[in-house]
Amino acid sequence: MSAPDPRVVKRLGEIVGPDHVVTDPNRLLVYESDGLTSYRVSPRAVVLPGSTEEVAAVVRLLHGEGIPVVPRGAGTGLSGGALPTPEGVVVGTARMNKILEIDVENRLARLQPGVINARLTEAAKPYGLYYAPDPSSQSTCTLGGNVAENSGGPHCLKYGVTQRYVTGLTVVMGGGRVIRLGGAGRSPDGALDLVGLFVGSEGCFGLVTEIEARLLPVAEGVRTLLGIFDTMEAAGHAVTAIISEGLLPAAVEIVDNATIRAVEASVYAGGFPVDAGAALVVEFDGTEAGLDADADRAEACCHAAGASEVKRATDATQRAALWNGRKKAFGAMGRIAPDLLVQDATVPRTRLPEVLARITEIGERFELNVANVFHAGDGNLHPNILFDRNDADELDRVERASKEIMSLCVEVGGTITGEHGVGIDKRGYMRLVHNEVELKAMAAVKDVFDPDGLFNPGKVLPDALTGETIRDPAMAAR
Amino acid sequence: MTKGALAAVLPAEALASGVAGGALAELEAAAEAVVRPESTDEVADTLQWATTNSVGVLPVGSGERLPKRSVQGRFIVLATDRLAGFEIYEPADLTLTAKAGTRLSSVNEALGAHRQWLPFDPPGVASRTLGGLVAMGESGPVATGYGELRSHVLGATVVTGDGRVLRLGGRVVKNVAGFDLLRPVVGSRGRLGVITSICLRAFPVPAVDRLLIFRAADVAGLEDVARAVRTAPTMPASVVVWAPTKKPAGEAALLVRLHGALPTVDADQATLQRSAGVVFESPADAAGISATVRDHAIDAAVGLRMSLLPSRLFEGLAAARDRLGDIMIAADAYNGSARLAAGEVDEAALVGLRDAVEALGGTLTVTRAGDGHAQPSLGSRPNSAERELAERLAKVFDPEGVFWPCRA
Ligand SMILES: Cc1cc2nc3c(=O)[nH]c(=O)nc-3n(C[C@H](O)[C@H](O)[C@H](O)COP(=O)(O)OP(=O)(O)OC[C@H]3O[C@@H](n4cnc5c(N)ncnc54)[C@H](O)[C@@H]3O)c2cc1C
Repeated sequence: MSAPDPRVVKRLGEIVGPDHVVTDPNRLLVYESDGLTSYRVSPRAVVLPGSTEEVAAVVRLLHGEGIPVVPRGAGTGLSGGALPTPEGVVVGTARMNKILEIDVENRLARLQPGVINARLTEAAKPYGLYYAPDPSSQSTCTLGGNVAENSGGPHCLKYGVTQRYVTGLTVVMGGGRVIRLGGAGRSPDGALDLVGLFVGSEGCFGLVTEIEARLLPVAEGVRTLLGIFDTMEAAGHAVTAIISEGLLPAAVEIVDNATIRAVEASVYAGGFPVDAGAALVVEFDGTEAGLDADADRAEACCHAAGASEVKRATDATQRAALWNGRKKAFGAMGRIAPDLLVQDATVPRTRLPEVLARITEIGERFELNVANVFHAGDGNLHPNILFDRNDADELDRVERASKEIMSLCVEVGGTITGEHGVGIDKRGYMRLVHNEVELKAMAAVKDVFDPDGLFNPGKVLPDALTGETIRDPAMAAR
Repeated sequence: MTKGALAAVLPAEALASGVAGGALAELEAAAEAVVRPESTDEVADTLQWATTNSVGVLPVGSGERLPKRSVQGRFIVLATDRLAGFEIYEPADLTLTAKAGTRLSSVNEALGAHRQWLPFDPPGVASRTLGGLVAMGESGPVATGYGELRSHVLGATVVTGDGRVLRLGGRVVKNVAGFDLLRPVVGSRGRLGVITSICLRAFPVPAVDRLLIFRAADVAGLEDVARAVRTAPTMPASVVVWAPTKKPAGEAALLVRLHGALPTVDADQATLQRSAGVVFESPADAAGISATVRDHAIDAAVGLRMSLLPSRLFEGLAAARDRLGDIMIAADAYNGSARLAAGEVDEAALVGLRDAVEALGGTLTVTRAGDGHAQPSLGSRPNSAERELAERLAKVFDPEGVFWPCRA
């Protein structure tokens, strides 16, 4: 890291107010990483603009000086997407946190990118509406981050991921040009789905400064089931049976024995039997009248697959209790090891039992603690590897085990990330799923949006295809 | 000459004629050759050849509903009818991978055996090919209950204008491994590449498919009920405003479909009736009536698509009736888009309507051009930044511009 030119810092201060330019090394510490804390790079500076106009002016200034911009929301990302680059300045959206409009009749919201996911749902609630994608980090992550990562969540099985809900974007592009993409109620001739392409671009195409998103009516009722199984395989069979029944649950989530133990050993203990092989959460939502029948059928599937116990929640308190083990899993695991690598990969749902067995085998072979918490309905796995980054040998085994897990998921027809993105962490795995021709096409598309390569360089695409790369400081920290 | 040159890169079967009539027959007559590849590799060879030789390529699916367009310069037709059949169908995964020339009717037949289906209902859906469906990107009104086609296309193999093969997305429902190049391909109308294989998300067939109908003397008489249904605390599968073309029929109807288990559908009907303050008719043949409405006037001389915020839809429909007279209207009242069909339309009326719709914040486009004045170029355009990005994106996929309709 090199301290930025004082002239540039002064100009930035003139644009956003001197209080909103951070250069003090102590205050920069929190910006050194996102949720993937094994990578750390200190940014040259952090700027916190308050409006589209300020973002545009900041980007114009920085790009004019050839300084890369790293967009940042809440920094909960798990692939190092918001990791600073040594030469870059972080532009954070924390102050751009206004919900601009809830258009009740058209079920649309217009908001700034720094709005926290759960706050949007909170704001829409008085109108009987909510925002569907619900990442487990929803009480802290921002909509801008969700758009950049195309985030999912437990309820995306029925409702789909972020992409489905974003109808329009205002974006500050390279050099500070402000553009609008899409917009509900418009479908002009010859338009391409640029909004869909922009969602999931991980801050590499431009900085989103306004989002138009769809809202849905709040479901009238919810039923939540918790099934306890002796083995993971049995839980996997229950999932397949539920889907084959023609049921469409809102969420189907599984936690494994290692996770149950971690949760039960923590302050979040919920009374799960610690010898259970797996716990399955199945949730139905919609019109009250049909819910019990759906829950009955799913319960029968669980019993047929060998569940030792099935609990059912009909009110909010009971529901929260059943979800507890799933929702608190990450927190509970944080307690038992200094570091936690939250992996993310997707496989076809029917391959889950086989893949989970092989992940267990990989963990054992590398002598690592692997705990699985995942969106079973989507086939979206989160094998969590517990480790201590000060143990160089263990760190190396984490690396090698991760790579094997990724290869395994790709081998059965899956992919290297279902919702956390590629960021810095998975660039090395991109060649497992894409050949050189495809990677070059992606690089060319990045070029269409960001010809000077000054938005979040060094992310998503493997080394040879990117501009600036994150060098040793980050890797050495692993 | 072209045919001879192509014979050097493709097997004889790919150059044998056999594609059917209609608008396609006219094109065949004008084309230098009709190529019917059987594999992604053959598509790639064809496109490489076309790029090298500066020959335009017009990809067609079923070819049954091709709008009339004037194609200029040397071109070949690339038909996908031999690229048909399933690749992977695992019912418990609720995903299906099939070649792009496979007809929707045969897909839904195979899925139906496992009580699954693809929830898309644009006009003429049964005879469409998967590739055509994805290239057009039209979901139809059941997108209200199921989500749009664009979010259900999980993966595709796409051959670019210069013959590169891109395997985009995958066959899992969540996938963020790199920039999502598949999104702009969906709905690009053949402008970015030839799609040869597609993976789609399938859905369970609902136990009950109930159609509710409310009739009024004219379209305006449906507005209050449509608004009540659209803003009620339940999500129907679709909400369609329909008014047929020919006077004196003149009557208009709101068609609401409810999908789900019997108790759910009963309760949803009660909720909607309470919200709207009306009692709906509920005819026995829901699927049949829905199909009639869906495909009505599909071959009209002029087809237009109007998009608006749902709250402005009826103003747009009134403007359309005012300016174009006796037209067929089939509108998706939940998302605010409308399909309009007419005989000939004169240019001044069309431009007037477009301006009126744009003043309401929406867009009007020409989806089927007549022999007269309703030309695609009269439709609403993306903003200048969107146009610029789309053009540059098209260059990434098709550097030499072989794909129609980009070709000058
Ligand atoms: C405990 C925990 C649980 C989680 N659960 C889930 C889950 O269930 N599902 C899921 O999908 N993810 C989950 N995540 C991951 C993470 O929360 C999401 O990726 C989230 O969308 C990141 O949002 P953020 O505001 O923190 O973005 P950041 O981490 O700050 O940034 C993420 C990326 O977005 C870019 N970015 C941010 N704002 C903008 C903008 N305005 N314009 C352009 N680019 C921008 C950044 O450059 C970066 O590349 C979880 C994380 C944690 C810590």
